[in-house]
Amino acid sequence: MLQIKNLHATVEGEEILRGIDLEIKPGEVHAIMGPNGSGKSTLSKVLAGNEGYEVTAGEILFEGKDLMELEPEDRAREGIFLGFQYPTEIPGVSNTYFLKAAVNAIRKYRGQDELDAMEFLKLVKERAKLLKLEDQLLNRPVNEGFSGGEKKRNEIFQMAVLEPKLAVLDEIDSGLDIDALKVVSDGVNAMRSADRGFLLITHYQRLLNYIQPDYVHVLVNGKIVKSGGKELAEELEKSGYALFEENAA
Amino acid sequence: MEQVASEPKNPYRDDFLVGLRSRRNEPVWLLERRQAALAAFERLGLPGKRWEAWRNLDLTPIADNRFPLLHTWGEIDDATVEAALGDVPDVYRMVFVDGFFSARHSALEGLPSGAAVLSLDEAMDAENPALERLGQAERTQQEPFLALNTAFMGDVALIHLGKGVVLDKPVVIVNLMSTKAEGRGVYPRTLVVAEEGAQASVVELFRSNTADAYLNVPVTEFYLDANAHISNYRVQEEGGEAFHLATVLARLERDATFTLHTLAVGGKTARTDIHVDLEGKGAEAELDGLYLAGDGQYVDHHTWVHHNTEHCNSRQRFKGVLDGKSETVFDGLVRVAPGAQKTDARQENRNLVLSPRGLAHSNPRLEIHADDVKCSHGSTTGELDREALFYMRARGIGERDAQALLTFAFVNEMLDTVRLEALKEYERELILRWLPGDETVREIQ
Ligand SMILES: Nc1ncnc2c1ncn2[C@@H]1O[C@H](COP(=O)(O)OP(=O)(O)OP(=O)(O)O)[C@@H](O)[C@H]1O
Ligand SMILES: [Mg+2]
Repeated sequence: MLQIKNLHATVEGEEILRGIDLEIKPGEVHAIMGPNGSGKSTLSKVLAGNEGYEVTAGEILFEGKDLMELEPEDRAREGIFLGFQYPTEIPGVSNTYFLKAAVNAIRKYRGQDELDAMEFLKLVKERAKLLKLEDQLLNRPVNEGFSGGEKKRNEIFQMAVLEPKLAVLDEIDSGLDIDALKVVSDGVNAMRSADRGFLLITHYQRLLNYIQPDYVHVLVNGKIVKSGGKELAEELEKSGYALFEENAA
Repeated sequence: MEQVASEPKNPYRDDFLVGLRSRRNEPVWLLERRQAALAAFERLGLPGKRWEAWRNLDLTPIADNRFPLLHTWGEIDDATVEAALGDVPDVYRMVFVDGFFSARHSALEGLPSGAAVLSLDEAMDAENPALERLGQAERTQQEPFLALNTAFMGDVALIHLGKGVVLDKPVVIVNLMSTKAEGRGVYPRTLVVAEEGAQASVVELFRSNTADAYLNVPVTEFYLDANAHISNYRVQEEGGEAFHLATVLARLERDATFTLHTLAVGGKTARTDIHVDLEGKGAEAELDGLYLAGDGQYVDHHTWVHHNTEHCNSRQRFKGVLDGKSETVFDGLVRVAPGAQKTDARQENRNLVLSPRGLAHSNPRLEIHADDVKCSHGSTTGELDREALFYMRARGIGERDAQALLTFAFVNEMLDTVRLEALKEYERELILRWLPGDETVREIQ
């Protein structure tokens, strides 16, 4: 469903991604691991269409469509979801209203009827329960004053409501305590299906114990230097990135 | 051979003389005040670029009486009245069409004793004592548009609240422009006199049925005796080519409170001058303003809050949103007179600029002649948060909708100070209609 070919991208003139190739098929869970600053978040932002990042070479196809041709909102409407490493606070816009606008914008794009207030509320309640999100958080402004863990749970909650085809989750495990990690992982696992793909970005093997990936890639200095099965993550945990950094240089 | 008079011809004087004919029943003192006001205007002239408070505003399109006084009024259908808060039941309503009082559209039954809501003719017939205040404000000698209105004002709205009278329902004054107003000048006038301990809310709505140019120069005066409490809500949604040059005067005696809430969305060139005089100890004024300027609009608010005695409070909060090629001005002066100790004055102006062609001037000013005071002012002008916009778009919300949501979040708090539910709803809808974006965002709660 997602094909990335020889992707190069720059931020403010500096090349961060230096030739990435990656293919994700429906139902697969891929994990990307890599040291700080290696370009993991950059990759996720490029996939979502952030204007601050310029693609200088290569292509990204999503279900055969050229992603670069699509505005960020249309990528989301096509079924791509980005769980942010640092979710943005939006003062003054309630979480519920925000989600409703998102759900209906996506439905409209797909030629479906908009959900009415009752249907929407039912969906939201059900998914909030899955993520053990208190009602009170639903009515508060998006992410404003949320704790780190609440923000991450809110991201996965949004994913659960929006039901994307491909979810790119950037460090969804950072800042979570053990219980929250379990809740978030359960949330993700509940969403796994034969036609949904995942790209997990993480630093830690720990997350991959909860969400078992099909493939693990090591990203160093803007390039994927090694790919393998989940045993690669275990290897990384023991040896660190030093070995790969040498390879990448 | 006869000499041709070399005196410069004054283009406003003919209008004034024609107007006089229809005012034959007015008392001499009022005619004299009109005369004096006209003379003041002739002396002052239209403010030009060299007049500091007017330097951003180009008045040449209205110079030389290019919008002559309208002597009759046009037709307004019931639907127009209905749309102007006309379907709200629990109010006292006065409807003015092109500046003329339309008794047929008004509803003033059931006023408590001690309260009077009257047109000028009715007030003269009833010899209402509050009428005496009409046109005697000293500023008439200094403010050209206040002077012009005083010379030309037609069917005045007079609200007189006797001692201790508390109005159970708000008074809604609807100023409607018909197509008859096209190319003409209209001078609505409202006078509110609240005696000791009286309380009321006064809503003023400015709407029009024409997209053509006209000139509206409304003046509203408030006189608050000791311990009177008055709220004034102003909603300005003039037609797209209109000139709206408004003046609000409020004079507060001991322990009186005056709260003003304005929402300005209409007009091509719109300016509101607000003069508040805190004359009695413990008086308190709160001014809230929201202005939404779209492409081609100029929207201006000038405030002068005079702390003329000690222990008075004032708070001003003005917020603006600019879209397209638009220009706004907030210019606010707080003046603390010598001896006005224990003054607490706050002033804040925040602008959100949605388009690179929007230009927001912000000029909060303090002039302090006392030493034991608390005064603060602040001003910010910014754009929408890029990260927040991206976050919303990454969830599927379209760019204009995301802008609309964030903009609404910026202005929303201004609705909190509207204490009349029907009006709050009315303003909310006005704001939502103004916002960019499609229907999805229209149901923001
Ligand atoms: N908006 C930006 N402006 C300037 N530099 C940027 C910007 N975004 C990313 N970078 C730079 O690009 C490089 C890659 O950053 P990125 O956030 O993709 O790393 P990461 O792999 O996600 O790191 P981490 O594990 O710490 O989250 C870093 O050197 C970073 O400073
Ligand atoms: Mg990162």
